[in-house]
Amino acid sequence: MLPLVNGSSSTLDPLAPELLMDLHVKYIQALDTKKNDLEYWLTEHLRVNGIYWGITALQILGHPEALDQEQIVEYLVKCQHENGGFGGHIDHDTHILSTLSAVQVLITYDRLDAINVDKVVDYVVSLQNEDGSFSGDSWGETDTRFIFCAINCLSLLKRLDDKRLDLPKTIDYIVRCRNFDGGFGSSPGGESHAAQVYVCVGTLTILNALHHIDADQLGWWLSERQLKNGGLNGRPEKLEDVCYSWWVLSSLSMMRRVHWIDAPKLTLFILEAQDTETGGIADRPGNLPDVFHTNFGIAGLSLLGYPGLVAVDPVYCMPRHVIQRIGLDKH
Amino acid sequence: MECQHGQKKEKARSSETPETLRASQEYEALLVREYRGLKDKLMDIVYSKKRDNEALGIQRLSYAFRLTTSLLNRSPDYYTIWNVRRTILQEGFLEGADAEKADQIYSHELMFVQENLKLNPKSYFMWNHRLHGWDYRRYIIRQMDLQVPKVSSEKILERVQSEFDYTTTKISQNFSDYSAWHNRSTLLGKLAVNMTEEERQTTVDSEFDLVKNAIYTDPEDQSAWLYHLWLIGRESRNISILGSTAISFHPLEIVVAFDEIVKFLNPPTVSTMVNHLPVPLAGEWKATGTDSTIGTIWIFQQAPGAEYGPTVELVVFEDDVCSFRLGARLHSAVCFELETVEKDLSKISGRLGRLVVVKNLMCDVTKRIGHGPDPDGTLDTQEENRRKHSTQAKLLDDECIKLQEKLITIDTLRQERYEDRRTQLVFERETLHLIKDGKRFPEVEFEEDLPRSLDLSMRGLTHIPTSAYLMHLHTLNLDSNAITSTRFIRNLLNVRHVNLANNMIKRLEGLQHAPSLEILTLENNLIAKWEDVVAGFVFWSEGKLARTGGYAKVLLGNNPVVENEGGEYVLEKRWEDVGEIGLEIQWKPEELRLAEEALVAAEGVAGTSESHIEAVRRVSTTVVEFDAGH
Repeated sequence: MLPLVNGSSSTLDPLAPELLMDLHVKYIQALDTKKNDLEYWLTEHLRVNGIYWGITALQILGHPEALDQEQIVEYLVKCQHENGGFGGHIDHDTHILSTLSAVQVLITYDRLDAINVDKVVDYVVSLQNEDGSFSGDSWGETDTRFIFCAINCLSLLKRLDDKRLDLPKTIDYIVRCRNFDGGFGSSPGGESHAAQVYVCVGTLTILNALHHIDADQLGWWLSERQLKNGGLNGRPEKLEDVCYSWWVLSSLSMMRRVHWIDAPKLTLFILEAQDTETGGIADRPGNLPDVFHTNFGIAGLSLLGYPGLVAVDPVYCMPRHVIQRIGLDKH
Repeated sequence: MECQHGQKKEKARSSETPETLRASQEYEALLVREYRGLKDKLMDIVYSKKRDNEALGIQRLSYAFRLTTSLLNRSPDYYTIWNVRRTILQEGFLEGADAEKADQIYSHELMFVQENLKLNPKSYFMWNHRLHGWDYRRYIIRQMDLQVPKVSSEKILERVQSEFDYTTTKISQNFSDYSAWHNRSTLLGKLAVNMTEEERQTTVDSEFDLVKNAIYTDPEDQSAWLYHLWLIGRESRNISILGSTAISFHPLEIVVAFDEIVKFLNPPTVSTMVNHLPVPLAGEWKATGTDSTIGTIWIFQQAPGAEYGPTVELVVFEDDVCSFRLGARLHSAVCFELETVEKDLSKISGRLGRLVVVKNLMCDVTKRIGHGPDPDGTLDTQEENRRKHSTQAKLLDDECIKLQEKLITIDTLRQERYEDRRTQLVFERETLHLIKDGKRFPEVEFEEDLPRSLDLSMRGLTHIPTSAYLMHLHTLNLDSNAITSTRFIRNLLNVRHVNLANNMIKRLEGLQHAPSLEILTLENNLIAKWEDVVAGFVFWSEGKLARTGGYAKVLLGNNPVVENEGGEYVLEKRWEDVGEIGLEIQWKPEELRLAEEALVAAEGVAGTSESHIEAVRRVSTTVVEFDAGH
């Protein structure tokens, strides 16, 4: 039984920056009010994803009440199409990315009753290809990210036993994406990248097939993502970015090697990427914040044990108590 | 809401006047109106088509197409508009077009995408559209190619070779071109397939030269090091079974110990002999620990009812088992003949007997399943080789340990990774005498009389890599190490005393499954809450919190939770009501405990704890019960 809330710690440097929790709550609340900004309209296709990032961050910060749950559920229901899938916004085409986000939000709110679950399953299952991979939508593009979205979604809905699925083939496909450095790419032969590593390790974890990973070798490659400034990059020679605090850390956590990263240094890096005026976290210190990086920065801090944050599940990137509630906790 | 990368935050413009602010706000409002106007116009057309279900005329189609261009130039990630654009092309312009017209359309599309990409290189959906363009074009070309004879395998090989040569060029220009090294790794295998053994050797040698060059030129760069590691290859060490024994009777329970965490792909068969023929026994395999599907120690529990004879047979085939190490396998099938006659009830009941390999019938089994026997020189030569390898191996181990210790000081960011690796090497060295070099050879033999206690104190260990080696121990001393977790104790089926004083343990885990544990010393660790002590004795069962029975003495002096009072705490788990977990803690001060111990040592008198209890503390923790749901 692992703790659901990180305990207090007396080992933090009192002069170091703090996580500005209340400010981040306000930042997230303000997101939907920017209707005069062009940027607000240009990112409509990300609404459903944005809601998932926003409410997950609020859950981890311990303020789930900060956004109107009923309003959000009503909105998501409008985003579900006849075929069961969800689009990124009302009247946007269905895609596996937004479908997963919608399901994650509804499960966090325990409101699956509001949608047609069977149809969602039908939609996701329909996206599986002959070779075991999943397409993102009816236009057919494949990427290991979409495999994870599909398996994650079906796992949350407890429908991995659907007879139409060929899970051994999916595992096979993932294994074919494994590279010389132990990492995973977006498709067979694709270069290793931390985000693809997360989705492949996540898929294998959900499907109980972690024995296909050389944990020591991949753990090494992942621990080498940490740069002198404490931040993590996505692959060798690239820049550090706060979102890798999630992709890399959660992968290491699933392989029980989170301690192979220098936690205090990474914590400091994430905290320095906060916007102390508006709240929110950016991709690196000095840049503009956004809800995507805010969520993954906070989730990363939770995995690192930052005091006062609600524990997050490394596989699903949802609060651990939610995952326990539905009986999927692997610990 | 955005997920932009790399956008610098501008400092507030203190020179901005209310007029300029209003002007920029008005301009932004104009852009918003314009954008929304375009979107609404396009969506009107899309909805009316859906509603009326009529094909659009060429004028309307072109207009809609131009609208998508305008929208995508402003919002390249608006994936729905890309879908609309593609649909317009496919159903409107490509429908019935000849190959030349189709080609024109695609070239124009590729140009549009290219221009847009230059302005918005990070647009994911733009790359997606480009891909579709190429995919569709390739499809068309493939259709046309069907008339032409197949590409010869020589041509294919030529192409692979030229791609390979391209990576050589790229690497020589810039040693830190990770993509080039990655591509090279995928191509090398393809080329090697058609090579002779000699050609392969030459290729490998030149690859090593190339990599060494890269490393000397830029030792800070990762790509060459990773490629080098890949070239060396990984040690293909097999999974070993350490042994098996029957541990309980009526119903029968058998334990099998592996030297690493494994998963059963097929459950191994346990059979009883009837007229000299094996008859399988029904039952279930479970690994120790909270996840019963993976582990180093596996226990077979027979389904009640069936009788079994004085000996049972356990067979584990290579394909039954897989590990978490890539490609690791059992060297060959293994068969154990186990005695089930309870000779000495007082030793066996409630406790485990000695871990014994009664008979290793590997040769018989391999004969039975059709493989020939495997003679490899005389027994003497084998022993000789083993000893030689053992000395060499020991020297290498010591060198590796020193290297890890150096790395710990040089690369502090990844210090704990090196500490873990060092622990693995040290642990292996310290437990070698327990398994007679079994790690290096497929056949495993145990010493006939295993030592019952092991001292691993002050070794700088961060964890216990292979707890199965320690399964037979009665006493384990891990005083003064850097251990953070007690989970390994779940595999120590025989252990009575574990000394984990002066380590870094924050919470207890895995003690639910330590059936023989009597005393656990945890003095001077980092345990801060009673919850963290309780955690070690509860577990999840079907979505609910459950408790184990039993009795164990946990010494918690000098942990934050006991506020620096010394002493001994006796934990008894007794409460049956669900939802609340209680611990009765009998506390006696350190001096008294030491005095008692001295008395026992001097006169062999076991004092009774009741007569010396100073205080009884009841600590109650309410645990929220979670319903697993279905």
